[in-house]
Amino acid sequence: MNPRSLLLNAYVYAVLAFILVPILIILPMAFSETAYLTFPPQGFTLRWFGEFFASSRWMDAMWFSLRIALFTAITTAVVGTMATYALVRGAGRLGTLFQALLIGPIVVPHIALAVALYLFFQQTGLSGTTIGYVFAHTIIALPFTVFTVAAALSSVDPALEDAAMSCGATRFTAFRLITLPIILPNVISGALFAFIISFDEPVVAFFLAGIRDKTLPRMMFDDIEQNLTPIIPAIAVLLTALSIAILLGAALLRRVAARNAATPEQT
Amino acid sequence: MTVATAPQARGASIQIEKLEKQFGAVRAVDNVSLTIAAGEFIALLGPSGSGKSTVLMSLAGFERPTAGRILIDGQDCTALPPYKRNIGMVFQNYTLFPHLSVVDNVAFPLKMRGIAKADRHRQAEAALEIVRLGGYGQRMPKQLSGGQQQRVALARAIVYRPHVLLMDEPLSALDKNLREEMQLEIKRLHSELGLTVVFVTHDQSEALTMADRIAILKSGKLQQVSPARELYERPSNLFAASFIGEMNMLPVEWDGKVARLLSGGAIAIEPSSVIEPVQPGKSVLAVRPERLWITGPEDAGAWPATIRDVVYAGAGTLVIAELAGGTEVRIRLPSNTISGLSAGQVVGLTCPPDAALLYRADQAA
Amino acid sequence: MSPAGFFEADGRRLSRGGIVLLMAPFFGLILFAFFYPLLSLISISVLEPQPTVENYQRVFDNPVYARVLFRTLRIAVLVSLLSLALSFPLALVMANSRGPKAIFLAACVLLPFWSSVLVRTAAWAVLLQRNGLINQGLQAIGLTTEPLTLLYTQGAVVVAMTHVLMPFMVLPIYGALRNIPTDYSRAAAICGAGPLRTFREVTLPLAMPGVIGGFILVFLTALGFFITPALLGSPQEMMIATLISQQMRELLDWPFAAALVGVLTLFVTAMTLAFSRVFRFDRMMGGRA
Repeated sequence: MNPRSLLLNAYVYAVLAFILVPILIILPMAFSETAYLTFPPQGFTLRWFGEFFASSRWMDAMWFSLRIALFTAITTAVVGTMATYALVRGAGRLGTLFQALLIGPIVVPHIALAVALYLFFQQTGLSGTTIGYVFAHTIIALPFTVFTVAAALSSVDPALEDAAMSCGATRFTAFRLITLPIILPNVISGALFAFIISFDEPVVAFFLAGIRDKTLPRMMFDDIEQNLTPIIPAIAVLLTALSIAILLGAALLRRVAARNAATPEQT
Repeated sequence: MTVATAPQARGASIQIEKLEKQFGAVRAVDNVSLTIAAGEFIALLGPSGSGKSTVLMSLAGFERPTAGRILIDGQDCTALPPYKRNIGMVFQNYTLFPHLSVVDNVAFPLKMRGIAKADRHRQAEAALEIVRLGGYGQRMPKQLSGGQQQRVALARAIVYRPHVLLMDEPLSALDKNLREEMQLEIKRLHSELGLTVVFVTHDQSEALTMADRIAILKSGKLQQVSPARELYERPSNLFAASFIGEMNMLPVEWDGKVARLLSGGAIAIEPSSVIEPVQPGKSVLAVRPERLWITGPEDAGAWPATIRDVVYAGAGTLVIAELAGGTEVRIRLPSNTISGLSAGQVVGLTCPPDAALLYRADQAA
Repeated sequence: MSPAGFFEADGRRLSRGGIVLLMAPFFGLILFAFFYPLLSLISISVLEPQPTVENYQRVFDNPVYARVLFRTLRIAVLVSLLSLALSFPLALVMANSRGPKAIFLAACVLLPFWSSVLVRTAAWAVLLQRNGLINQGLQAIGLTTEPLTLLYTQGAVVVAMTHVLMPFMVLPIYGALRNIPTDYSRAAAICGAGPLRTFREVTLPLAMPGVIGGFILVFLTALGFFITPALLGSPQEMMIATLISQQMRELLDWPFAAALVGVLTLFVTAMTLAFSRVFRFDRMMGGRA
């Protein structure tokens, strides 16, 4: 290997270290026996995980986040799939409007949305409610879910539904029995994205939170700011494991979907 | 060296000595030796996986051979990187730089050689004139058709007057009419500029029409290197025989002088028709469809056969017949020389003695 | 009306009513929970207490707030440049590698995606403490004798934000590099271009759209970033997001906070539209897996 590419590779490995080291450092700290954060961690204990699961305030926050994330996932999947289906099946100008509006939540900084919703929810009495958070997180997650579902839907031949309808099915039945099974892995994958986006979402959660209705990220934010104990790394370990599990699951589903889509060509 | 507007390039000789390229367990090029004369137009022909592209890439410098040498004009270039070899190359997908205009594309090699802008644009325009695209300089590649893009690629390859031009299946992306037009264009350039051309193709008719000599490769090994006519009329083994044109392969019993068809009938084989050594015993008789004649089944020396199909195709007619025993034979005749042939008819087949070639039976063609 | 009859117009295409019905929840949601609240907020900035532009004037005229804007721009540019310096070589090596090495590099770049912003920011908070790893390391190799104050500085914010936003730069550049067919570098080489010249004359120009796209993406995201400046920055050196938070939650100055939101949103939206060609959202909609 010539000296130039040797230098390049060395530099890149330094960059990789920059990326990985902070995360790799904080995760082992969750197992340290000391009450302060130290590296390398001393001893080995799971007591911080125990404290997390035993603490009512943390558990309240966790269940609150889980509830919101679940509803967000479902809402995003349903609303997103419905709208994407209409888009792909010839929505014309309404479809162009759809695509233009969909860009909004991606472009506009989350803080703008957070502040706007805080005020709006106060005026409409949605402050502190689960459904308020669900609205906010659905808006944020929709573009990503739509991208996933749209990719799948546009690769499904519309003639399949036509064939089903010529066999006597209504369009809704054709969708349910023919199209939906084909795109289901991508829909679920999109729902999983929405779930993890909602579960990890920190900015809107920061601004919407009241005294009692804090999501897990919001509570983490407070503790990082004021009370940095090894519970935070422990929660980080749990969150990272959850993210990896969900994203791997989503990736696997997409692989399944791709394989299903490929089989007709092979016959 | 100043470059006159009238192109006066000459070719370089190429010597490929015992070239080998191994990819893991696969030997893509196996002991290939080839001498290419200066100014020659040689085609590397073979099916995919034959190693022809690997040989070309080794000539270009994109593949480093695992063994063997490559000499260009007597100089060992085996280890020389591609950007120092000063040869021209045309790729299958034209590969024009999309962010540069046509004239900047053609002038690119001159820019690499440090030629000033005004000069190199002038030379580029001259090269475009040679490929008959003068005036297209300011266009962008995506505005041109496939054939035009290929001609720009050609202009870029010759603008710095290389002595060797490599072409990697340059016409396979074009449609048929365009391909024939480009074949003539490339031949014209070759005779005008006098450079050595190495042309890779999988299309045997393309190789036959364009090349002075054809090198056939299979599974990394060189099968035969001959001028087109010799390759067609006297292929050196069964693979070459079946790869170029159509060939009837008939199982025979060979006793050293006469080949006996298993279905009856025989033919004396001249010694010169036994191109590779064939031991007495089971062998293969090879005859081109257009060398066979149809006569009566009782005629002397005729092989009896039953006609299965008569396919009229305008100027020529294809007759598909079956020897006793089931071997299919294809005969091509001018339509005006035959009449009254129909399926089911029993006829006799003959051919001139020099058209019957004998090969070993143990090869997998 | 049963769904069956409603959805078929001429039997084949989805009826107009069907399309409207299917898209209604989306439009309802995005208008009700996105556009209306945003416009309502921004309208406060020009309507309270009476129709006025004084909230916006305050943003630009008051030197304290003008400094916040400049600081935000400066930090966003720094983060983008730093990300570019780190991401481009990484994307280059990724694009040129195959097999296990490629998978390993991809996993490393994607790993930050698998941990939330909070986790990553928390990691930096831990690293930059007075008795944190970085200070320990610096003292161990003898560069410093006392712990440095690394936390609650602009430097901390820049470094942590770069860490968080880097993948958004790596991926577009990598994508652009991978889209360049290998034959181009071969064609350049046979024309006489050595590796460095091939990179400068062919690879770089063709990868430019990805580079610009990544840069703009990181820049615009950094402008409105909240979590990292809030946790790692100092209250004396705010970015616009933390200023908005302070105005809204502590000082309860709604019209001014709304004006700040307005300035940020309008700037980001305008820049996105200006560079929309580079983002090519339309291509994401159909067919890209």
